[in-house]
Order: sequence, then C-alpha cells, then structure tokens
Amino acid sequence: MKHFRTLVCSTGMALAATATFAGNPYEPYAGTTIVVNFPTTPHFNAVMKVLPEFTKETGINVEVDQLQYLKMRERQTLELTKDVGDYDLISYVVFSKADYVFADQLDNLAKYFMNPKLADPHYDANDLIDGYVANIGIVGGEKGYLPGKTGSLYGLPFGSETSILGYRKDIFEKHGLKVPETYEELLDLACKIPQLEPGMGGLSSRAASGHHATHAFLLHLAPLGGRIFDDNWNPIMNNEAGVAAATALKTIVDCGPEGSQTFGFAEAGAAFLQGKTAMFLDSTQFAGQVNDPAKSTVVGKVGWAMHPMGVRRGSETGGFGIAIPKNAQNKEAAFLLMQWLTSKHGDKLVTMAGGNPVRFSTHADPEVNAKYPYMSQFGEALKYADPNWRPIIPVWGKINADLGTTLSKVLTEDLDIQEALDGVAERTRATMEQAGYYTWQ
Amino acid sequence: MNTSLANRLTPYMFLAPAAAILLIALLYPLGYVFYAGFLNWNPSQRIGQAEFVGLRNYINLFHDESFRESFFVTLRFSAIVVSLEMFIGVGLAFLLDRNIRGMSALRTLFILPMMISPIVVGLMWRYMYHPTVGFFNRTLKSLGFEPMPWLLDGDWAFASVIIADVWQWVPFIFILSLAALQTLPQSVMEAARIDGANGWQSILYIKLPLMMPVLVITFLLRLIDSFKVLEVILVLTNGGPGLSTEVMALRIMRTATEFRELGVAAAMSNILLMMLLLLTVAMFLYNKATEMRAMRLKNIAAEEA
Repeated sequence: MKHFRTLVCSTGMALAATATFAGNPYEPYAGTTIVVNFPTTPHFNAVMKVLPEFTKETGINVEVDQLQYLKMRERQTLELTKDVGDYDLISYVVFSKADYVFADQLDNLAKYFMNPKLADPHYDANDLIDGYVANIGIVGGEKGYLPGKTGSLYGLPFGSETSILGYRKDIFEKHGLKVPETYEELLDLACKIPQLEPGMGGLSSRAASGHHATHAFLLHLAPLGGRIFDDNWNPIMNNEAGVAAATALKTIVDCGPEGSQTFGFAEAGAAFLQGKTAMFLDSTQFAGQVNDPAKSTVVGKVGWAMHPMGVRRGSETGGFGIAIPKNAQNKEAAFLLMQWLTSKHGDKLVTMAGGNPVRFSTHADPEVNAKYPYMSQFGEALKYADPNWRPIIPVWGKINADLGTTLSKVLTEDLDIQEALDGVAERTRATMEQAGYYTWQ
Repeated sequence: MNTSLANRLTPYMFLAPAAAILLIALLYPLGYVFYAGFLNWNPSQRIGQAEFVGLRNYINLFHDESFRESFFVTLRFSAIVVSLEMFIGVGLAFLLDRNIRGMSALRTLFILPMMISPIVVGLMWRYMYHPTVGFFNRTLKSLGFEPMPWLLDGDWAFASVIIADVWQWVPFIFILSLAALQTLPQSVMEAARIDGANGWQSILYIKLPLMMPVLVITFLLRLIDSFKVLEVILVLTNGGPGLSTEVMALRIMRTATEFRELGVAAAMSNILLMMLLLLTVAMFLYNKATEMRAMRLKNIAAEEA
C-alpha cells in the first residue's frame, strides 16, 4: 500500500566517465538502470542514503521500489511468476527463502562468484556473519533450509538481525543488580524488578496472538535446548525444553509491563523506550532508536548484553537477504550492486548511515563503534547466532500461526502449557504428513 | 420474414453488452474461486500449475478445529452485533423522528461513525482500549474503579470488538429506519390517533409493521456485511487473544497470505458464500411469503366489501 518509487538520479553517467582508469570492472554496466525492491525498514532507509555513492562509484543507476515489508511478499510473488520480471534485485524476508528457491525463482549465486569479471577478489566472504549466511543465504543442505554438503548460495544477508538484551543501566545500578547471563537469572530478575520499582515491568516481550507470540517463544526455545522438529521432522516443541520455553514466556509476560499479553514488536519496544520496563530482549534492529530523543525517554540509560544462555547459547537470526530473481533483466549489474552493498566498504557505509552490518569486521570497526558504541558487543553476540532457531519450510506459516494462537491462549486464558503444546504438536504432525515430510518413514 | 426476425432479435441485441459484462465481471471471478477451491495452490504458482485435489480442501476444513472455531466466532459475532444494531438503530430512529430544533445537525452527527474508514475506526478504538493510556481505563481509574482487560482477555476482546462494530454500524440502521418512518402515510397515523392508539401501540401495531419491508432489507444487508467484517478486527485484535476474535474473513486472509494456501482460502470463501446465499434465499422466501399473505388479505377484504 505504502508504495513509492524513488529514482536515485543519474549523476552517474558523467561521474562514471571520470573513472576511466584501466580495469574498471563496472565500466561495461555504466549507464545501466537496475530496479530493486526494498522494504521500508530503518536498515533499508539507510541504504537509500548510500545508493547515490554506489552510482557515483560505478555509473550504474538504481531505481528503488520501496514497500512496507509485509506487502513485499505479495508483490514479489506476482513479479517472480512473470516471464520477464521488473525487479533485478529483491530483498526478501528470511522465511521466503524456502518458497522462492523451491519455486525455482532465484538465481544460484555460484555463476556470479565464479565469473572473474564480476567477482571481487577482495570480497572476503569469510568475514560475513556465519549465522546470517546459513540462515538467510544458503539452501539445500541439511533439512533443506540449512547449509550442508548439498547446499548452495542463493542470497546474501543484508538488513539481518539477531537478538540482544537491552537493560536500563540506571535501574540496575540503583538496586545493585547484576546483568543476567543465564535464563535463571533473567527470569528471576524479570519478576524481581516490578517489586523493586513499582509500576515498572521486568522485561517487555512480544506476546500478541499469532506470529508475535511464536517469535517470543522461539527466542527462548533455542537457548533452553529445544527445537520445533527433531532430525526426522517429528514435532518436538512439546518436550521438556518446549515447556520450559513456554513457561519462561509466560513468566516474562506475567511480570512484564501492563498490557504485555497483546504486545507486538512495536508495543514491546515502545514500552522499553517509554521507561515502562527495565529490560528488552528482541531484535538488534531496535537498537538505533534508544538514543533518539524524539522516540525515546531513556537516552543514554541503556546498556546491551548477550542473549542470556540456557543450556546453550543461541540468539535468533532473521531479517532480510538480497537475491537476484531468475526472471531479472540486468542480472550482472544487480550482482555488482549486491556485492558492493555487502562488501566491507558498502557494509560500513550503510552501517554509518544507520543500517545493520552483516560483517564481523564492520562490527569491530573503530569508526563504527565511535558512532554506535554497542556494535562490538553485537558482533560478539553474533558469534552465537543460531541459524536453526526456526524452521524455514513452506508449511511453516501455518504452524507458526497455530503455535502463536495457542500460546496466546496460554498467556491470556491460562491454558495448561503441556496440553497446549501437545495440541500444537499433533496438528503440526498432520500438517507435515500432508506436506509429504513422512514419505520416507 | 427478415424484418420479424430482426424485430425479435432486437431486445437480445440490446441486452447483449450488459449480459457480456455480467458474464465477465461476475460469473468469471465466481467460477475462478469455485474452481480454486479444488486446488492445492501456492501463490508462487500460476493457477495452471496448481495440483487438483478434489474435495480435499473442504474435507480438511471440516476437520480443522481452528476453522470451526472461527466459523462459530463469526456466527456469534453476527448474531449479536446485528441484533444489537437493529434494536438500537430502530430505537434511535423512533426517538429522533420528531421536530426538535437542531435535529438535522443531530442526525448528521449520528451518522458520522459510518463515514469513517474502518481502519481508522479500528485504530481509534484500539487506543481507547489501551490498557494503561486508553480512554476507558484512565476514566475507570480516575473514578476509582479497577481497569478492565479490554483486549487482553478472550471474552473481553470479543465484547470490545462488538462494541466497536455496533458503534460504527448503528447509524446505518438508524438512517434507513428514519427514512422509512418519515415516508409512512400520515393518514394511517391520524386514523390510529383518532381510534385512540397510544404511543407504544402506534409503534408496535402501525409503524413497525409498515416499516417491515425496509427493516428486512436493512437487516439482510447488515447481516451479510457482518459476516464479512475484517478491517476493524484486524486492527483491533488481529484475531486474538487466541482465536477469540478470529472471524472467517480474517481466517481467509491469513490462510492466503500467511499460510500461502490459496486453494484452502478459496474453499473457505466458497463456504462463506454458500452461507450468505442460504441466508439471502431464506430472506427472499420470507419476503415472498409475507407479500402473498398481504395479497390474500387484500383479496379477502375486497371480496367482503
């Protein structure tokens, strides 16, 4: 709905002509206009500020079709099924990965990375955050959606995020509290803070019926040692770890700020920004707002720590990736943009403009840390990013919704946790059966 | 011969464009949805690539607890909101059917809610229901009462959604009832007054029966509309908590966009369509029956005279 086109204008032609030194790899594509589809998230708003620099350096013009991120899927579904598509590069939400690759709508990136005229030898792919690449870029390995010997690369992480714990330094100092490192400490503090600071919630979490509740549950499931499926696709979200994760979620919501039961991501974040809660455990994408006085009443009071550990470390991986549609018209120029944006140079530019970096080196960069002091902490946390915290399979949407509405019943109607999760497991089994996951059993 | 043939064909020729438009604009999409109900269709596929699965979607829906729940939520929602709206709307019309100064301004004011976009209505009510900063809970607190869990609890959320819908759609019934009231023949009213009917009697025995044809149509329109309600609930609760406010239209939308099962979504739409069709036919038959009865009474009266 919120749909506007921005033409990053073509000062490029003239400027490209100045870059006539020998061996300019961008030269054959100077003057080309590529059309990209980006969402309207803070990261991609930062990208918009950096694109003129790309045009200046390469002579390639970029036309951006920026859409609200939930609308992107619909538009892309239409575009990708056409014979000749209008988009040369798309940004996709991570759970679209499986669908697009399964429908054979994305180009495998191997042919670009093996083309000496296109691939930049200084790209340093090893510097890309492993969890992100595994979660967002690679398809066809273990379980079909993870890396493995049979997997290959279809997209690059860009605008990706992980989970991080934000806490109120002032409140913690005032009461001499220790920043929680384990789930036990986290849950203990979550319910202790409302007693120490009347009127303040412990930890704000999303909990609204559907996607939000599932997301919050999954955040706790991985560190507490659980998974949605075992290696044979049997649903195991109702095992001990699953019950522990749902119990943790319920504790957090019960001790959270008023109205927690129906919080989405925005409301949970707003509660933290308005000082109604002492902790926040969710996406790093949120970090940019806490020191913005226009949005936040807690400027300068927030510290960051790693997602607490349960039986293992496991922060989420999600957000967006970028890929080249099979029916794109300017694939090579699109690859050059993709490579430029995720290169050390591009990643730093985007980060400095307010985006989320996808490289370890950018997280550790002194200049970046001078502007965003929490970045090195995020880089540390990203070493434990878990690419398998949520299954990325075509039927996930349905399971996601069922899990989310059932958890909402647990949170608002006091449904028994074990019983609730057993129900989800049973329905998930039926869904998986119909989708053919038990064909070989 | 030729002229007579041409004469006979003329009306059909004039009808042809309208018939063609009807066929393309109405029947084609309907047929499409009907056919899609038999497919296992993912939005990444073209309709031709989708697998034909016969009645599987319908059978699955029949066994699907969530769908059954949303089906009953819709029934409950429609029954409650339409009854409440009819009662309040017609009542308001009786109250405001008089000549007081400033009445036209008051009437305009009354129909305002109907003119607001449903998304805005949803947002407005969502802020008013907000647990801490919302108008209702702040007022309750300032009066010394406990705040209510407006959207936080299944039953309360259902009630909240009903209140918002009633607020928005009472004016629709009000305005139609008022129009019907004002066109009632004055001679009948006068006759009733002369015969000594009091206010209640004239409403119950004269005005309501005379307004009935309009009320039936109004009722039907609202009923159909309430079965398809989506936006206000989408914004207010998005179906939650749990599935307590997930009406069928919302379920259909989620099935198509979140679960990516276009075939199942189409099957659900067809079930909804069938339900509405049944209601409409029932209403039509009822109308026919009352008309016949009126005609018979008229004939008897004429014979007696």
